[in-house]
Amino acid sequence: MIAVKISFLLNGDPVTAEVPDQVTLLEMLREHFELRGAKEGCGYGECGSCTVLVEQEAVNACLMLAAFVNGKSVQTVEGLAGKQCRLDPLQEAFVEHGAVQCGFCTPGMIMSAKALLAENPRPSRDQIRRGMAGNLCRCTGYAKIVEAVAAASKRGCSCGESS
Amino acid sequence: MAKVLEPESGGVALQAVGKRLPKLDALDKVQGKAVYIHDLKMPRMLYGKILWSRHAHARILNIDTSRAEKLPGVRAVITGYNTPEIKVGFLKDNPVLKKDKVRQYRDEVAAVAAESLEIAEEAVRLIEVEYEPLPAVFDPVEAMREGAPLIHEEKGSNILKLPWKLICGDPDEGRRQADFVVEETFLLPWVTHCCLGTSGCLAEFQPGGNLTVYSPTQIRYLAQRDFLEAMAALGLKDKRVRVVSTAIGGAFGSKLDTYPFEFITILLAYYAGRPVKLVFSREEEFFATPARQKVEAKIAQGCTREGRLTFRDVEMVLDNGAYTSWGATTPSVMMMPISSLYKVPNVRYTARCVYTNNIYATAMRGYGNPQATFAIESQIDALAEQAGFDPLEFRMLNANTAGEVTPQGFKVGSCGMKECLEAVRESLNWNEKRGKRNGRGVGVGSLIHVGGGARIYKSDACGTIIKLDDFAKVTVMSGATDMGQGSDTVIAQIVAEELGVCIGDIKVIMGNTDLETWDVGAHASRTTFVAGNSALYAARSAKEQILALAASLLNEPQEDLAIKNSVVYSRRNPAVSMQLERVLRAAHFKTGGTQIVASHFYDPPTQMLDKEMKGNFSAAYTYGVHGAEVEVDRETGRVEILKYVIAMDVGKAINPMLLEGQLEGGAAMGIGYSLMENLQTEKGKVLNPNFLDYKMLTFADMPEITSIIVETGERFGPFGAKGIGEPPLVGSAPAIANAVYDATGKRVRSLPLTPEKLLFDADGSEERGGE
Amino acid sequence: MRRFTYHEPKSIADAVHLLSAYGEKARLIAGGTDLVVEMKQGKKEPDHVISLRSVPGVNEINFSGGYLRLGAMVTHRAIERSPLIRERFTLLADAVDNLGSVQVRNVATVGGNICNGAPSADTAGPLLALDAVLLVEGPEGERNISLNEFFRGPGKTALAANEVLKQIIIPELPPEACSRYLKHTRRKAMDLPLLGVAVTLIPEAGGEICREARIALTLAAPTPIRAIRAEKHVAGKPFYRAVWEEAGVLALEDSSPRTSFRTTAAYRKKMICALLPRAAAEALERSGRTMKG
Repeated sequence: MIAVKISFLLNGDPVTAEVPDQVTLLEMLREHFELRGAKEGCGYGECGSCTVLVEQEAVNACLMLAAFVNGKSVQTVEGLAGKQCRLDPLQEAFVEHGAVQCGFCTPGMIMSAKALLAENPRPSRDQIRRGMAGNLCRCTGYAKIVEAVAAASKRGCSCGESS
Repeated sequence: MAKVLEPESGGVALQAVGKRLPKLDALDKVQGKAVYIHDLKMPRMLYGKILWSRHAHARILNIDTSRAEKLPGVRAVITGYNTPEIKVGFLKDNPVLKKDKVRQYRDEVAAVAAESLEIAEEAVRLIEVEYEPLPAVFDPVEAMREGAPLIHEEKGSNILKLPWKLICGDPDEGRRQADFVVEETFLLPWVTHCCLGTSGCLAEFQPGGNLTVYSPTQIRYLAQRDFLEAMAALGLKDKRVRVVSTAIGGAFGSKLDTYPFEFITILLAYYAGRPVKLVFSREEEFFATPARQKVEAKIAQGCTREGRLTFRDVEMVLDNGAYTSWGATTPSVMMMPISSLYKVPNVRYTARCVYTNNIYATAMRGYGNPQATFAIESQIDALAEQAGFDPLEFRMLNANTAGEVTPQGFKVGSCGMKECLEAVRESLNWNEKRGKRNGRGVGVGSLIHVGGGARIYKSDACGTIIKLDDFAKVTVMSGATDMGQGSDTVIAQIVAEELGVCIGDIKVIMGNTDLETWDVGAHASRTTFVAGNSALYAARSAKEQILALAASLLNEPQEDLAIKNSVVYSRRNPAVSMQLERVLRAAHFKTGGTQIVASHFYDPPTQMLDKEMKGNFSAAYTYGVHGAEVEVDRETGRVEILKYVIAMDVGKAINPMLLEGQLEGGAAMGIGYSLMENLQTEKGKVLNPNFLDYKMLTFADMPEITSIIVETGERFGPFGAKGIGEPPLVGSAPAIANAVYDATGKRVRSLPLTPEKLLFDADGSEERGGE
Repeated sequence: MRRFTYHEPKSIADAVHLLSAYGEKARLIAGGTDLVVEMKQGKKEPDHVISLRSVPGVNEINFSGGYLRLGAMVTHRAIERSPLIRERFTLLADAVDNLGSVQVRNVATVGGNICNGAPSADTAGPLLALDAVLLVEGPEGERNISLNEFFRGPGKTALAANEVLKQIIIPELPPEACSRYLKHTRRKAMDLPLLGVAVTLIPEAGGEICREARIALTLAAPTPIRAIRAEKHVAGKPFYRAVWEEAGVLALEDSSPRTSFRTTAAYRKKMICALLPRAAAEALERSGRTMKG
């Protein structure tokens, strides 16, 4: 089988994987690394459930070939919470503001929000809506997610580290 | 009959109920730790894949699976010809693997289990099926005609033998009494659930023949019963079936029935002798999951000069698709608004469900009510206008009230309809904004829905088991299902309140038929009411046991004792107290000791509908009003929602934050239904099986929602609560259509309310005349 | 997805070499947001997938000598974030502002958007209205293709199978020019245009008269088009709404919209008439002027 060797930083740790050429980043994360937080909601980049960060930018892991992250950094929802049960402020805000219902879209939502706040630490509600429009949710009507992201931004969740 | 429940707080402020508490499983979900069917893996697990027909109606001449069988990694290939026949659906008209002929473009013809999904997909491509196309019919009206192709020949007709009919009073006399009458026809499209997590299940046989099915079902126990039938077909009649719930990635009614794919997975697991998981792709989810059906509704309503409704006459044709799932029984719920939304003394309703070669119909949030309410409430505006009334005033005149018995026999307990109308009037600034015809307009849509369960089956019950450990930690095992709506949390709040413990001490377990007692399923907005009451009674029973033990430990009369903050104390003399955990340990660690276990099986005080379709089939009724202010771009026909308000009589908000989540999420689905969503089919094939072309709302499309919660205190509800899962989308479409009419003078009688329909006639070809 | 071999050449010449060697069995991948979908759907099944991501320079934005040069691998996000483009080539910023999601814009490239030849490509109209020229490299060396000549049909372009798009070259606009791309959609995000209208206006001195207008339409025909009749009609005339309404009607003559399950030809026609004057008016507003009448 044709396989490509990929070395990259995964949630801060240097890792290497050998996967077939046609494997997507999402497949590699879920199957090879058993990180199943990122979900396949559509496989076509239309729902955002698979959102992870590559070089701090949000991408649809379902559309990206695994080979594309060679030499890059990848962050998934599993890399957000710190040690000793400490959540990222965004995760806390999603919990506290009722932004989670069925939860299938949640990891992707949080990663999109992470990238949004990294670029724009104090987004308006409209900027949140536009910036996260690539993440679909069928349960919440989005309102509580907007609230959660706005609340996290007030708490100063801007850069990579939880504070 | 159940007792009237009152909170046992004895006038003390509620500790847990009424609080904005986070959803219990949110912590797992924000960390990506919740396990959905997509995430589940078993040792030696195989992957299943279905071969779908690519003809809407055709005879199967031959299925050649030989090439698929030879593909390395393939472990089972099944068809209708090498497996026992299993028919599903409540009319048992749907063979899980089709033999002899296919009746829809998405029919299950064969299936494969293989070592990887890629191999399974490849194997399915290698199966060759020879078809002889048959004449097909896609329009239910055509399908009713003499000589139309028969979908099920043995039935002799495409019209289902479910003659839905309800007559209350004398509708013809009601029409004669009317000074004003409006008659119209409304059309509603196929729409679908769009669960972010696609459907799927995992089946695993234990040695000896017992079966476990992991599934995101909404009906664990009914599914167990259905799967037992499959076991019987396999000759495993006396074996056990265990259904284990995974985290549910959205349901909205889509998982309220068992479907061929689940039985196919069981068959594959059986024949392969390995666990098999089958998960739909997004495309399959769109074309293979049954949907909310297409409806044509002819409706007439009339009123007197004084504005009193005198009659309502509705005739419907429902596209059932090729097989029968829960789409065919939605008329039983459509009857509710038709007979009982507003005080209307004379009512006639008939509905025919018709087989076609389309995709088929199932339950979806609102269960027929959105279709019926769109017709009724759009027309209420037209009737009000004709009779010279402000549409909101007209609704106030005819509004339902507490204590009434509706023509269908519903005994209305609490009813906050007038309060909701007033709240929406104020929020929309109705009196100022209405009637301008300047491209901006306001509209409302009222609704009624079941709020106290719905006795569709002989039992509408839910069981709960509660146990307390030696450290006063509480485990609640509930038959209910949480699919994201927050039932876990609401049940915990009710138990916390009743037991006097904090919510952090409660764990709610749902999702294993071996552990919990029965529940009919997460439908009909019933879980807070029915599972909530079940949990409340079980908690009360546990509390009585605890207080009896504490009474002897504290030497106090039991009736004086109460629990608060996990301390048992005397209400008469609060100094006399004992930590709850000490009470529990004292009861346990002694000769002949005991641990507290309590259970309750709650069935609401309701009746099944009788032969005339009358009776009080829910213990409570939920009322609400949607209001919208819109702006219509006259050049492009685009509708912009400027303001959206929902006022909902919920009885009592157990958790206002989660409740708002239901209102906002329902509104999003309702606005999508109103403006954009449309599962388009052509000759039975779904044209838009993806999120790009099936337009559910995005973040950017969602207006701010104003939620107004009206608390009326329902006599039978847990702490006064009524059900609320479905109503938040029921009134959307008429509110928006009425607002568009107010803005433009154009009445669009079909959904979705597209720019094309605003600028052109329905077919998009001929331009409409002026205003 | 079907199996394929992944290649990451280090130069355009190497990429051309691979394309020549594998012929029809090879596909270039840029961001992959279209190709990966098509491969998953089985619509394209290449044996070799060739990525340009290791080729130096193809993701650069360069403005000098009167030309804006966009490397083929410049992402939509990079365009979105470029103050220069937002200021001087505003309609191109309009195009990417509402193209797919942030996730898609982070990886999807302007070269990919053009080379797919999709009738709905959001950058196509604006680039047409900017008189863009494509610099491509093949086995015989480099050549320029005017974007006007590039689109040959749905999914078809003038690019040969062994040619690679290197750069999109856009002539600078005079400072008095203004522009607008209007994307008319059902949803406010994550949508394809039902119709796209791109307008570049270059006024005469004084700003009252339209010296030159470039008008491009997407989904008005099987490929993105320039509405030449409409352009001729407005040239030399004052910025009056009536003139632009007439231009809308003339643009219909340049168009041949289709009815599909997404919308009807009749609706698209109506939108051409409605949105051309609107796009022109909004372009003018950006330079502080207003459409009269």
